[in-house]
Amino acid sequence: MYIIIIGAGNVGYGLALELYSHADYEILLVENDRGRAEVLRDELGELCVHGDGTEVSFLESIGASRADILIAVTGDDSHNLIACQVAQHRFGVSRTIARVNNPRNERLFQTLGIESTVSAASAVLAQIEADLPAHSFIPLLQLRASGLEVVDLHVQPRSRAAGVALRDLDLPDDAVISLVVSGDQSRAPDGDTVLQAGDEIIAVIGQESEPAMRELVRSPDEPLREIDEVL
Amino acid sequence: MKVVIMGCGRVGSTVAARLDAEGHDVTIIDLDTRAFRRLPGSFGGERLRGSGIDDRILVAAGVREADAFIALTQGDNRNLMASQMARHLFNVETVVTRVYDPLRAELFGALGLRTFSPTRISADLAINALLGAN
Repeated sequence: MYIIIIGAGNVGYGLALELYSHADYEILLVENDRGRAEVLRDELGELCVHGDGTEVSFLESIGASRADILIAVTGDDSHNLIACQVAQHRFGVSRTIARVNNPRNERLFQTLGIESTVSAASAVLAQIEADLPAHSFIPLLQLRASGLEVVDLHVQPRSRAAGVALRDLDLPDDAVISLVVSGDQSRAPDGDTVLQAGDEIIAVIGQESEPAMRELVRSPDEPLREIDEVL
Repeated sequence: MKVVIMGCGRVGSTVAARLDAEGHDVTIIDLDTRAFRRLPGSFGGERLRGSGIDDRILVAAGVREADAFIALTQGDNRNLMASQMARHLFNVETVVTRVYDPLRAELFGALGLRTFSPTRISADLAINALLGAN
């Protein structure tokens, strides 16, 4: 498997070393800064090349059209985006992975068909959110192709969902409650299931239904989360 | 027409000044406020300091209401990213992008942006001037 990594900063360098130890992988690490590339060449030999990983002619010279995966992990989101788009649309690379430095850019990358994005900031934020016991809403998984997501909801005391049977709850049309966990008991719910404060719910919902779902389980005391004010 | 221009270099400032003089509603963005010195004293449009690949700056520049967006910074990838934000996140009708690399210009032209490559245009002009002189 031929894997091209664009950007030999700490992330790209570490990734190259990690992947290099697998015998099945052919790795090429691309660095645009000549000085950095020369230093790495002394250490890694032909594993590292100097060049602009967003330039069509350079990508051609390193055989991008036979690459199985292109991973763009520079510190600049515009380079990561364009490297992935050029790889996909010009060289037919089926799998591209982009580092997104500014989590606000994740939506743009998805809109433009970069399915796999990695954001250190988002990952850390998710960890922090998961650690906050009072937090009522935690996104678990994005199913990007369908626009759905899997979320973890905690029914807060005095929320609109607490003490209400599912059939009487004003759920968004595209929301499916898959699992209700009360204490150490979990069950697949039906219309008669009454949600209690403290219950944990795993649900599959449309991404647009996020605000409505947050609203159902939120305690009246919990401040409304600042949801992306611009987009 | 409301136009947002990204990059107030020689070309950006010239385009901004001309559109403004023709009565269009112009907002120009640059990372460096000193770049705005290139604008003539008569320029009546808005000047905004910030990065055109930051969606909040684009919104502040009025991209939601803009009829056109033009990306004219020195960075091909910055221009391409901001242009795709304008086109695909904010549905700006007309998006024009300067891309020095002719091959990247061609590729993103096929993907729906109006790109032009100064490299290719200059080369064509140079060759025409040379052959025309004979």
